[in-house]
Amino acid sequence: MKTSTMRTVAVSAALAMVAAGCGGGGDDGTPAATKISFLTHWGPDQVKALEAAAQAFQKRNQGVTVDIRAVPFGNLLSTLRTQGSSPNGPTIASVYDLWLPELVRDGLSGDMPADAEADLAANWPKNLVEGVTKQGGPRGYPNEVDLYALNYNKKLFKEAGIAAPPRTWAELEAAAAKLTKDGRQGFGVITSWPAGVVHPWLSLVNSNGGRLLDGAVPKLDDPRTLAAAQLYSRLVKSGATQAKMSNANANTTGPYLDNFVNGRTGMIIMANWWQGALKEAMGERYQDVGVAPIPVGPDGATSASVSYSWLTVVNGKADQAKQQAAWKFLTFLNGKDSGRNGSSAMGDILTSMGILPSSISDLKAHQAELSDPFLSVYVAELANAVPFPSVLGGEAMSQAVQKHVENVVFGKETPEAAMGAAQREVADILTKAGT
Amino acid sequence: MAFLSPAMLVIGLFTVVPIGLTFWISLHEWSMYTPLGEMSWRGLSNYTDLLGDEGFFTALVNTAAYVALVVAVTLPLSVALGMLLYFPRVMGKAVARAVLFSAYVVPTVAISIVWGALYAPDYGPLSQLFAAWEPTWLSAPDTALVSLVIFHVWQMTGYYTVLVIAGLTQIPSDLYEAARIDGAGFWRQTRHVTLPLLRRTTVFIGLVAIINAIQVFDPVYILTQGGPAESTAVLSFAIQRAAFQHGMAGQASAMAFTLLVLLVALGGVFLAAVRRRS
Repeated sequence: MKTSTMRTVAVSAALAMVAAGCGGGGDDGTPAATKISFLTHWGPDQVKALEAAAQAFQKRNQGVTVDIRAVPFGNLLSTLRTQGSSPNGPTIASVYDLWLPELVRDGLSGDMPADAEADLAANWPKNLVEGVTKQGGPRGYPNEVDLYALNYNKKLFKEAGIAAPPRTWAELEAAAAKLTKDGRQGFGVITSWPAGVVHPWLSLVNSNGGRLLDGAVPKLDDPRTLAAAQLYSRLVKSGATQAKMSNANANTTGPYLDNFVNGRTGMIIMANWWQGALKEAMGERYQDVGVAPIPVGPDGATSASVSYSWLTVVNGKADQAKQQAAWKFLTFLNGKDSGRNGSSAMGDILTSMGILPSSISDLKAHQAELSDPFLSVYVAELANAVPFPSVLGGEAMSQAVQKHVENVVFGKETPEAAMGAAQREVADILTKAGT
Repeated sequence: MAFLSPAMLVIGLFTVVPIGLTFWISLHEWSMYTPLGEMSWRGLSNYTDLLGDEGFFTALVNTAAYVALVVAVTLPLSVALGMLLYFPRVMGKAVARAVLFSAYVVPTVAISIVWGALYAPDYGPLSQLFAAWEPTWLSAPDTALVSLVIFHVWQMTGYYTVLVIAGLTQIPSDLYEAARIDGAGFWRQTRHVTLPLLRRTTVFIGLVAIINAIQVFDPVYILTQGGPAESTAVLSFAIQRAAFQHGMAGQASAMAFTLLVLLVALGGVFLAAVRRRS
């Protein structure tokens, strides 16, 4: 390197150091010029709203810059795996609660500071706080909560002479049989998408008194679980469920959605978040969509959907200044001052997607939107919902169950053989994962 | 040797190091959330685990079926198309070659989305065209893999056809003239002149087709996610799923290294068989 170039570099570096030393810090000691990033899987509209919240935060916290990075849902986990361990990786990440145990084990989910922990304890329902608590402490702010309900086409129900949505499995089978005709299926299922396969099926299991796990022990060979697989098998054999109409693509849309939207599926079990997709795809026909609790099985006492949540965590591998700024941003984002009419900015973003917010103040602030006929059924069912087990090896477990439920749907395995094999595979997966 | 050094350095950096690193990772347990230095040693356990892994064998069988179908269809089809576009003296041959080749140029991700719509059950154009047979395409385990093969063949045949045409240009025209003088018609010329002299090209195409088929990933990831019922879970998808979704990069690396060994072995057997016949 030439001497003149070296001098220029040295002088610039010295100036930069002086400037950094003279610069003002944040009001809580956060160093100036702290740049943090927020990794999310949300769409363009929600990213814009998040950027607006980040700008509002930056105005109040000079020197802190929040950079929003968005990737498709399918790439979120792989982005975390490839970038998360770097100190320059995403400082904040929106994560699915099933991923949390692994993130905590590997130090990617940092400890929540005391003030944020107190905020969480005071403003979120206890069961949600427990859901984000791992290794003795809460790991992040829960934001979206999703659960499942029976979606049905009211117009098709009327045409078939069915007065009310089914409340039991027997009624479900009867309604599905009446709705099935002219290339239409009475009851739709989803394939080629782990959560899309497992969650609706498991909602039926839960509503029959069964569970996926008892602690760390799989309960797939339990008669109450097996009964849900037998129900699928009967529906397929009767023609009320047509496996060829069930496919989902990598974008979690595809034929299963198209068939419901276009009136070729009478009923399907799906989560609240697809309300936006239904409205967009159906236009005026959206008014035909009815929602009801998951039908209860012969051994069940009450409808009990699967629920799962997303939370925002802070990268434990980021430096302390970044972690501090990140928690401060999350407290702001989830606080009452960042949104409209007493809601947090996070609450506003979530309800714009038809997703249930989780903080007590957001639920109150968005009461009007949540009393919408579609969402109100989900809100009412939240109290009985059973969280999907968040354990080490959860993704692999979910995909093992998916494989065998799909085998039942496609007639490749009997319900008994499928559940027996799933029981062995899940037990093996959980043992290897150290659950 | 001094002239070779830069090339060896590049090969070492971009080929040998990643392969070596993959093998090293395959001897460990690693979630990818931690630095490489914090991996836990497992020795050969990831390899022995594969022997008892039903999912790995399903992926292996699916991959073998996919490769066999692709090669069985693509190779004769590209040779036939190449001859059709080389021998007849007709207008528009260059345009036809360009059109065929264009399918290879367009990114697979973009085409996969289009094929997803084409294959849509009931309302998709292909489903309506063949409505009498009620095709299930990607929606049923029996047809999903074959549907992906059709897509692969459509995408890659143009490329292989261009290679065949390049091979045909290397055959001296006086050989055909001599064959014609000896009374050989089109079929005899094809059997005794074209195909034997095209052997090197077809061997190369066969090898490349096998490698390309084994590496198939994009359409599986976009269109089927390995489903329905694991019927399209090929090895590359299984590797991605183990590493990025299950956080088992060690096991995924063991699968990847096994795949590499299989590829080398398969390539070696293929070339040895060709040499023996020669």
